[in-house]
Order: sequence, then structure tokens, then C-alpha cells
Amino acid sequence: MLRTGPRRQQDPEPAAEALRLVKVTKTYGSADSAVTALDGVTLGLGHGTFTAVMGPSGSGKSTLLQCAAGLDRPDSGIVRVDGTELTGGGEAELTKFRRGRIGFVFQQYNLLETLTVAQNTVLPLKLAGRRVERRRVREVLTSLGLGDRLGHRPGQLSGGQRQRVAIARALVAEPRVIFADEPTGALDSRSARDVLGLLRQSVRVHGRTVVMVTHDPVAASYADTVLFLADGRLAGRLDAPTADAVAERLAHLGDDLPAGV
Amino acid sequence: MRSIRQRPGRFLATLLSAFLGAGIIMTFNSLHDTAGQPGVDPVSSETLSTAAGVVGGYGTLLVFFAIASTLTVNVRQRAAEMELLRCSGATPAQIKRMVVGEAVAVALVGAALAVGPAMLGGRALLAMFHDSGQVARSVEYSFGTVACLTGFGITLLAATGAAFLAVRRATAGGRRRRGRARTVWAYAALVAGAVAVSSTFAFSATDAALMAPPAQGAILLSVGCALRAPRLLSAVLDRLPLGGASGWLAVRNLRERAGQLAGILMSLIMFTAVATATLTMQAVESDAVAASGAVKSVDAKNLETLNVTVVGIIVVFVCVMLVNSLYAATSYREREFGQQRLAGATPGQVLGTVWAEGLVLTVTGVCFGTLAALAGIVPFTLVRTDRVLPGQMLPVWLAVVAVAAAVTLGTALATARRVLRTPAVRAVAPAA
Repeated sequence: MLRTGPRRQQDPEPAAEALRLVKVTKTYGSADSAVTALDGVTLGLGHGTFTAVMGPSGSGKSTLLQCAAGLDRPDSGIVRVDGTELTGGGEAELTKFRRGRIGFVFQQYNLLETLTVAQNTVLPLKLAGRRVERRRVREVLTSLGLGDRLGHRPGQLSGGQRQRVAIARALVAEPRVIFADEPTGALDSRSARDVLGLLRQSVRVHGRTVVMVTHDPVAASYADTVLFLADGRLAGRLDAPTADAVAERLAHLGDDLPAGV
Repeated sequence: MRSIRQRPGRFLATLLSAFLGAGIIMTFNSLHDTAGQPGVDPVSSETLSTAAGVVGGYGTLLVFFAIASTLTVNVRQRAAEMELLRCSGATPAQIKRMVVGEAVAVALVGAALAVGPAMLGGRALLAMFHDSGQVARSVEYSFGTVACLTGFGITLLAATGAAFLAVRRATAGGRRRRGRARTVWAYAALVAGAVAVSSTFAFSATDAALMAPPAQGAILLSVGCALRAPRLLSAVLDRLPLGGASGWLAVRNLRERAGQLAGILMSLIMFTAVATATLTMQAVESDAVAASGAVKSVDAKNLETLNVTVVGIIVVFVCVMLVNSLYAATSYREREFGQQRLAGATPGQVLGTVWAEGLVLTVTGVCFGTLAALAGIVPFTLVRTDRVLPGQMLPVWLAVVAVAAAVTLGTALATARRVLRTPAVRAVAPAA
């Protein structure tokens, strides 16, 4: 129902997996002060799945998201989005890779203050040189409860509304994977529930693939699967999570790991 | 005060403009001091006072607006910080005190630093007057009360006033009735400029101070134009056929930020107006002297060089201010550029947006600057030579426009390129 317009810069046939990481390693700093943020992470996520990545601060979850989403390059390992490998290259190439395949939802929304809701939503399409279908943009925004806010600026919206604009922006470009980085981190619990419900809906109804980084067990319980990360390594997995089960797992995350890294 | 010590970089732009501005003012106004010394012969005294009055007069006006515009940009950039302070319990009065206090401190430091260079500059000017024979060799250089008072006074007044107005706007929260006062000021500046320009006709053709009113008038008119510019800018933007995603973004950015761009536009308009007006008038003046039949003596040639030097100093100052305010405004946009990149803009597209914005700004600034310059030049040439448009204007104007375009686009693009080196994810991270 959301398939419209020409799909430039996208791959013709969907691959088996929406996201595949093989032995991805990322180290910050150099020599003696080096910190290993990701230590050989391997994972695969199918199409139409909603995955939460959890872990304590410094566990490498943000780095994982940045490497998987082509915002940063891993030191070694392979990242494949929808079957296409993310290769080296300048920022321009990474950008072109991202904008056909990946959508973002950030904690800080990252909407442009100078643009209206509608303009923010179509910005990725404009930048990618793709055709903008106004009717569909309005449809998506209306379905997110923003139908009467098209001409507003982000500054005139509440946090929850801004995050819904960000979700609309991610949905309109029809990406293969949507990455959400602490999408509810700056929201009150009601707006947070709305946003999480919308993310889940985009998976269930529209068949999107969503990867969400969070430290909130309640947020994680909206996902189909939770992946736990500790000290840069995968440290467990929980299917059909509840908030309590996630919190319990999180509290004992360090227990079965060897001390030190 | 602590906030200055923590982030000296932020205040560098303001400090630089205060330093340069106070330096220029004190350099020229120390000639008043020199002229006022006991035992200076009347001819020397008059030459010095005229130079100080004419150049020092419009120089002071320039410095005032330059400092004010830089400071306004600076305060506006700290809106987020002030919002945070307000949320953590600072009353508007406390914030006001902090910002104005900082502005005063920076202005004082800038002016104090400028004393030394201004003394050297003033000495050099006097030496040139000595060499051209306009001032008796016996006149000693003096740096006294007039120089100090005007230097510190103008710098402080401009800094405090601008900080006060900017912080009031920032803490008021809403954007209510900001257009009103601006419109009033714009018309006041335009009227004052028109009066100054018209008063040119009250002078006789050979009056030494003939250049002062049209030059000051041109400056005031450019300030008036700059204040009105946001409205005119959006009118221009509606008819602009800028293609591509970069152009689309540039037009929307400019329309939304039109009010904030007034500071940069003011620098740009002032540069075009002042450079075109003063350089053209100087050329007309020189040619008129030559045409009056007087054989071009060594003295006359010296005089010409001196005047061109003086005018040159002012033009270079305005040019530096233009670079300064553009740099401050562009480097502040790191977060915005980061957001554009995360939304899928390649670095090339971001630069394309900056380029398109710079182009629109340049064209607008040059247009209004030219109008203001013409308003000053035409009365001057009418009085001096009975012609309407001097032939000397075209080459000067072309050179000025070339410099304005190169400086505007060059600064904006170079700064943006540097800002883009920060990874996009880090650029959008809230300031630690």
C-alpha cells in the first residue's frame, strides 16, 4: 500500500536479510588509550522485524547503530544492508548509500528548524532527487496524527509531535531499515508509548524493519526481540520480551562475563 | 565572567571587532588631541581636525554598527544557553546582567588592547601629514583624552547597547512585535541618511569637509537598507528560480532566517556602499583638483596618496568585519549542517546550499549597497563637478563587487568546509 513512485538507488530484489553484520569491530582512540567499542559483533535481522538493542552505558550500542547504519565505518568486519555491502568511500558515497536504504529516528529529533513539518518530511526525498508525492506525504503525516500540523515549524510542536514528524520522515522515504537511537529518551511516558506504538505499527502494518537502541526496558518490550550488548559483544537475546524480563536480564548482564575486557 | 574564561573562542569575533573598531576610532581621534595641543599653528591644527572630523566621523559610525552587529550575532547564538539558564532558575535580569557584563568586559579588553596599535597608527598618520607638508614638522604626536574617551566610549556604547537589545529579544521568549521597533529604526536611519546626503548641498565645492556628509549619509542609508532587507529579501526569494535540492533548501533557509541575516547583510551593504562611495569620491576629488589647472605638485600627489590610504584603512576594516560576521554565523551552523547530512545531504549538497545562500546574499547586499553609495556619490559629484554620475565610479564599483562576492562566498564556503569535517553524528550531539 505504500509502494509508489520510482525507487531509485535501491536494489531491485529484496535480500533474505534486512541487516547483516559479520565480525564488526570498532576501536576508538589509539595505542594505549584505545577503547574497543565493538568486539567482533555478528548478527542478522530479517525483514519486517522489530529489534531492540540494549546494554548499559558504554556497552557499544550507539557505536553498533552508527556502524550498521553507515554513519561510521567499522575498523573491520562486514556490514550488509538489504544484501548490499557497505564499502569504504567518502562521506558522499556513504550518504548516497544511506539515503536509499536507511531511515533514522534520533533522540534529539534532528528536524531542521527552518523547515515546516511537511518540508522536513520530504527533505530526504528532495535531497535524493526523488519524486515527491504530496498526497502520500499528507497521508503518512495524517496517519501519525499530524494532519493539521503540516505548516508548523518544529519549534511549535511538542516533543512527541516532533518525534512523530521524524518517524514520518523516515517512513516517507521507504527505507529498508529504520534505525532509532533512543527515540523515547526525551519524551514523557505517554508520548513515548505513542511513538513506540507507531514504530511497532510501521513494522506490523507497513512491513518495515526497525532497529532501536535504548536503555529503557519498557521501550524494549515493544520489540519482537531484544539483543543485549555488554563490553562491545553480544551478551544474549530475548524473544517476545516483557519489561520485567528485560530489566531482570539487564540487571545481571555483567555476571556471566569475565571481568575486564 | 566565568563563561568567558571557559570558552574564549566564542568571544573572539566580538573581541576582534572591538579591538579593530576601537583602534580605528582612537587612531583618528588622537589627531584631535594632537591638534589641541598648545602651540600648534592654525594651519596644522585645521588639517588635523578636518582629517579627524571627516574620516573619524564616519569611521566612528561604521565601528558602532560593526560592533553592534557582531555582538548581536554572538548573543543570538547563545539562545540555547540562555534558555538553559532560565530553566535553572536565573531571572531575566540576571541573564541580562551576565550578557551585558560580558559584552562590557570584552569591549574593555578590546579597547585596551587597541591603545598600543592606535598610538602607532596615529603616529604613522601624523608622519604622513608631515611628509605631505600639511602639518608643520614641529607638531608632536599626542594621544590624550579625546582619543581615549571616544575609543572606549563608542566601543562600550555599541557593545552594551547591542548586548542589551539582543538579550532582551532572547529572553523575551516570544517573537512578538520585533518588527515594530526595527521598522522605526530603519526609517530613522533612512531619514537621517537622507538628511546627511542632502546637507552636502550646503557645502561649497572646495570645502575640505565636503566628503563627510555624503559618506556618513551613505553609511546611514546602508544601515536603514539592512534593517529593511529581510522584507525585501523574502520578496526577492519568491521570484527566485533556484533549482535542485540545495537551491530549494537555501531559499527556505534564507526566508526563515531573514531576520538573523540582517547583521551579515548590514556588513555586506556597508562594505559595498562605503567602499564604492569613498573610493569614487576620492577619485572624483583627485581628478577635480587636477582639472582645476593646478600643476600636480609633489605635495598634491602626497595628499592624494594620504587620502587613499585613509579611505583604504576604513574599507579594509569593513571588509574584515564582513569576514568576521560571516565566519561567526557560518561556524555556528555546525548542528544544522549535521542535521542536513543525517537527512541525506551529501557534503556537496550542503556546500551547494551555502553557495546558493551566499549568492543571494551577495546580490541583495550589492544591490542595496550600490543604491546607498549612489545616494552619497551623486550629491557629491553634483556639488564638486556639476556632473551627475562620475566616470570613475564604474571601475571602482566593479572592483568592489568582485571583492564583495569573493569575500562573501569564499568565507562562507571555507568555513562550511571546515565545519563539515566534524562527523555528522557528533555535530548534532547536544553541546557537552
